[in-house]
Amino acid sequence: MGVLNNALPDVAPVKAVDGLIGWGRGSSIWPMTFGIACCAIEMMAVYAATFDLDRFGAGVPRATPRQSDLIIVPGTVNAKMAVRVKRLYDQMAEPRYVIAMGACVCGGGPYVKWGYNTVKGVHKIIPVDIFVPGCPPRPEALMDGILKLKEKISREAVFARRAATGAEMDGRYVQARPGGGAGA
Amino acid sequence: MNEATLHARLAASGVGGIGALDTSAKDPFVVVEKDALLAALAFLRDDPQCRMEMLHNVTAVERPEAMEVVYHLCSLAHHHSLTVKVRLPRPEGGTHQNWIPEVPSAAGLWAAADWHEREQWDLLGVRFTGHPDLRRILLPAEWIGHPLRKDYVYPTEHGGMPLELDAVPLYERREGAPLPEPKPPREAGTPLFQPPSPFSTRPAAAGGKTVEPGQDRPGNEGHS
Repeated sequence: MGVLNNALPDVAPVKAVDGLIGWGRGSSIWPMTFGIACCAIEMMAVYAATFDLDRFGAGVPRATPRQSDLIIVPGTVNAKMAVRVKRLYDQMAEPRYVIAMGACVCGGGPYVKWGYNTVKGVHKIIPVDIFVPGCPPRPEALMDGILKLKEKISREAVFARRAATGAEMDGRYVQARPGGGAGA
Repeated sequence: MNEATLHARLAASGVGGIGALDTSAKDPFVVVEKDALLAALAFLRDDPQCRMEMLHNVTAVERPEAMEVVYHLCSLAHHHSLTVKVRLPRPEGGTHQNWIPEVPSAAGLWAAADWHEREQWDLLGVRFTGHPDLRRILLPAEWIGHPLRKDYVYPTEHGGMPLELDAVPLYERREGAPLPEPKPPREAGTPLFQPPSPFSTRPAAAGGKTVEPGQDRPGNEGHS
């Protein structure tokens, strides 16, 4: 699609095509087979039969970053691992998405003060789309994160000029906040 | 055998430098001179009455006056265990930049000591002389310092990866942007050691109340 990316006017037919692409992308998120620490156990439970992530089209973990759309980072990212996480993310093809799963990945968690080798949140290394807090998060929480990501993907502008994409979704949270201030 | 008879046997073995048995802790321990350490450990392993075939754990404790290296031994044949400590006194003004305590390695006696000693070298900076391969085991090889020392200064980044809570994310860094201020070194007056916790069972901290060996700390009855 290259040159046409965000190059067309924001009119109804273009938006319809964008919606179709977004629906396709959001309904077949292929996550990477990737786990770091204890959150990965919970993530495996989400893939497995009881919770069955395949219901949302995201149940096909790919064994290589080059085939994946999504990297779920489950577990403490330490100094040794951070280099590898960055490298894996850099190998993924656009469009690519990141879910930060668990307290450690969202901001350091229990290692926030004395963790001499812990990266205080994977968002210091790679841009994160969805944060799923918890220690570890319940499988339902991760599923909710995937659904939020699906919603985010389906609202993305592909051909249409990049307007306030995602603002609609973010707006709900801004409104829900007491005082209604943005990014308080 | 219990700890007292084990200690009596060790003291009568002819190995010098064996201290008294300290029963103030929950696990009674014996402090051994550094020069006698290997002979004492070898005796505990080989003596048919002791038969400590198993080395549970090698750890180290940094204290204001010394570095303590702790060996937890146990015998599967006789169902007994003993804790052996060696104290490596801190020289005047010894900090972790200029003081690397040395102790002979027990890797020749128990294979288990190999990785345990590497861990103590990695995290606390205790050099085990005669160790076959004393490399870092957990941290990357190029790591600077030994993080569990009291005067360790935390790194700001490693391998280009930011390690600080308020670090600017990598993808938001711009060419020519001002670099963050380097961290100031440790302040001169900061105490290395915090006052003992009120939850400690040591007599000094428990208000003079001595906890007998075998007795649980208050509020923990029945959960030994």
